Amino acid sequence: MKTRGTVAAAVASAGILLAGWQAGTQAGGTSIITATGTTAEGSGGASGTNGSAPHSATTKGTTSGTTAAGTFTGAAVQTRFGSVQVQITVAGGTITDVTALHLTDDDRKSIQISNRAAPVLRSEVLAAQSADVQTVSGATVTSGAYLTSLQAAIDAANL
Amino acid sequence: MTIQLPQAQAGPATRGPAARPGRDGNGFAVQHRRRLLRADLLTVVAWASVAAAVALWLSDGGLAAAATPAGAVTAAGIVAGLVGMDLVLLMLLLAARIPLVDRTVGHDRALGFHRKLGKPSLYLLLAHGLLIAVGYGMAAGLDPVSEAIALWSLVPDMWLAYISMVLFVAVVVTSLVAVRRRFPYEFWYAVHLLTYAAVGTAIPHQFSVGGLFAEGTWQRWYWAALCLATGAALLYFRVVQPIAATNRHRLSVVRVEQAAPGVVNIVMKGRALDRLAGTGGRFLIWRFLAQGMWWHPHPFSLSAEPVVLAADGTGTLRITVRNLGSGSGGLVRLRTGTRVAVAGPYGLFGTAARTRDKVVLMGAGIGITPLRALLESTPFAPGQATVLLRGHSDRELYLSHEILELCRLRGARLFHLTGPRDKGQSGWLPDDAVHSGYSLTSYVPDAADADIYICGPSAWAGNVIADATAAGVPATQIHHERFDW
Amino acid sequence: MQQTSDPTEASGAPLKIRTFTSMGTVISLALVPDGPAAGQAADDELAAALAVVERLFRDLDETFSLYRPDSEASRLARGELTLPRASDIMRDLYAEAHDWRLRTEGAFSPERPDGVLDLSGLVKGHAIREAGTSLLALGRRNWCLNAGGDVLAGGSPVPGSGEPWRAGIVDPGNRGSLVAAYPLAAAGRHLALATSGSAERGDHIWRQHGRPAEFSQVSVAAADIVTADILATAVVSGGTPMLDRAADGWDAAILAVRTDGSLVATPSFRR
Repeated sequence: MKTRGTVAAAVASAGILLAGWQAGTQAGGTSIITATGTTAEGSGGASGTNGSAPHSATTKGTTSGTTAAGTFTGAAVQTRFGSVQVQITVAGGTITDVTALHLTDDDRKSIQISNRAAPVLRSEVLAAQSADVQTVSGATVTSGAYLTSLQAAIDAANL
Repeated sequence: MTIQLPQAQAGPATRGPAARPGRDGNGFAVQHRRRLLRADLLTVVAWASVAAAVALWLSDGGLAAAATPAGAVTAAGIVAGLVGMDLVLLMLLLAARIPLVDRTVGHDRALGFHRKLGKPSLYLLLAHGLLIAVGYGMAAGLDPVSEAIALWSLVPDMWLAYISMVLFVAVVVTSLVAVRRRFPYEFWYAVHLLTYAAVGTAIPHQFSVGGLFAEGTWQRWYWAALCLATGAALLYFRVVQPIAATNRHRLSVVRVEQAAPGVVNIVMKGRALDRLAGTGGRFLIWRFLAQGMWWHPHPFSLSAEPVVLAADGTGTLRITVRNLGSGSGGLVRLRTGTRVAVAGPYGLFGTAARTRDKVVLMGAGIGITPLRALLESTPFAPGQATVLLRGHSDRELYLSHEILELCRLRGARLFHLTGPRDKGQSGWLPDDAVHSGYSLTSYVPDAADADIYICGPSAWAGNVIADATAAGVPATQIHHERFDW
Repeated sequence: MQQTSDPTEASGAPLKIRTFTSMGTVISLALVPDGPAAGQAADDELAAALAVVERLFRDLDETFSLYRPDSEASRLARGELTLPRASDIMRDLYAEAHDWRLRTEGAFSPERPDGVLDLSGLVKGHAIREAGTSLLALGRRNWCLNAGGDVLAGGSPVPGSGEPWRAGIVDPGNRGSLVAAYPLAAAGRHLALATSGSAERGDHIWRQHGRPAEFSQVSVAAADIVTADILATAVVSGGTPMLDRAADGWDAAILAVRTDGSLVATPSFRR
């Protein structure tokens, strides 16, 4: 009987940890705009990888063949910044434009936004290797720490 | 001297709410299975709460933050803090005298778990402080000491957390010392009041510092609910319930009478005493509201079923107390009319713990008296119960006349075991009985198929338990209550 | 640091970088000569430009350093000098700092918690701004100035190509790698990029207002370096509300790294 309790406790704990881990992986990668589902078949569905809030898309543009084109409006998604609805423009099978339609927060009921900051995946920001840049921005480097900085490597290469 | 009684033809029908399970043949087995299921569920809940504490951190993307060495150290610190605090909350819940816990694992086993968690939770909390200081220090390029000072001075609520840490160390260390040195109960009690201060000062920084419980997160709600539920349970079961019980029963002392040299019966009258029927064996906490006594809580069992005189439960009840100990000495001088505050009953030393139809009651010294009430109320068929009373002499077999009368009435076998203690291994029996080659099975041949209730000094009880285990009695059938705390 | 790079290899333009130390950090000036200047001439141009920039930083540091007991800022801090009698530049920067405090609703402040006037949050940005102006006045069109991680650029690394200067942003979780990049002057708008971290000046993990830092690092690209620098500092200290205010109220691109390593960005930072 003691075994039963131990096993049940172990299973329950493992389940809870797994759920937490799963939630954590998703939270770490929370993104309201995702790049999957770039092609939409017929009905024109754009899907998000954010499992907790799948984008049920409605087609407003024209769709033809296997490569869809048009504008897709995602379902409203709850983020820590408020509720966001995303419009995706697809042409030639790739997303050409992503616009956040509206976002609400505590102060503002609904606003058009142009420059709102939103969570993004690391794979979704403008990226570069240190070999591709001419300068490096970072939190203030003291002269002592400079020697081990990326900027020092670039400077040394261009003396 | 050994007395063996002829079995009575018919005992009185068992009565009270506790009588139910005994009626059908396997009633106690069903009760036992249910209790084991509850115990397993409580185990699951306890472990799940620990897992949930870690899951809170995981769900906030904790693993991602642990990618760097500094982040990993900080993360370990955060997890240690979460688990440590969770264990502290579990400790508080174990000590909250929650009826579900009490009826499932019993009061002293709950406190046993409570004690077991003391050191691990302290180590986790210490590790929490240390790892956070090191982890943050690594991230900021500071040594841990400078970082700790910076945390103290820069971050609101952190000074409270430092005080909390000192209090936790003080509580655990003094508890361990108090156990070893056997300090009086009052000292123990005062130290444990510090626990509330330690927990109270630990809580603010959990919510104000650190992003995990930031405003608007579900993690914050969960943690707040956990803390509040624990606080509410403590408040309700340790403050509200005792006040309600005191108010309900309105007990006052009727008389204090000498039962034997150094042993007194305290008879009290009150209301709604029918609600205390069938609680034989379980203990209640008494406070006699007289000058110089009211602050001293006494854990005593009833030594007889309450006598109910009217339909509203008005009647009398009785406890039997040995006139020893720092607090018990003054009980002889209790005056008639003294009001009594009561809380309980607590513990699993009663019918709720039964697993079998057969029962053996074994008491020594003042430990006999709770068995007297249990013998009166616990259900058994004639011939299914055995009572063993142990004392140096007949004079220490307190209430033996009443017990003899009950055994006659209900059809139980009774043995008086008197004489000096044997120096040998199974030291629970008198010298001469051991030399005659007696052991538990000599008195109770079918002990392995019975519930055995043991109440007496812990050394004696330990010897009985060893003998019972040797006789093949499973641990689940051995019921023992510490009464010398 | 073993990583080396030669971004000019492909284009063939002779990018030259010189460094000097001032204001407790290292300042790097990268210069691309206009046209096919010979090696020695290019070196002379660079040396002249560097001398101007270095002089500018040193003068400002002498006035504003709180590490130099004889500086004007130190005398002001000790009460030996009052603001009305201070130098024009001191009073100008003080007024500008106060203006920023109002515009950031207190997230940026020119005063330390102990009340001492500390304009260092503004002085470096001002020095970079002045250095940029001087370089343009010297007729230098293609350059990139990096002062301890705050960057101001002009022109292009490949003269005439319109190609932007590419600035990398350090990953706060791993200072040897980049978390993102941003093209400076891609559209002729954002020539400045500044980054602030929550681990600066003993403020580390925590914010001054008693709540933990949300962001371990904030980078802001804007048209001028002072705006970029101050907004970055303000968002680190003011958290998400300040981030939203900055994105709404200024023409700025913002990339913030949360303490858990996840990113928050305005649209310009996305691919």
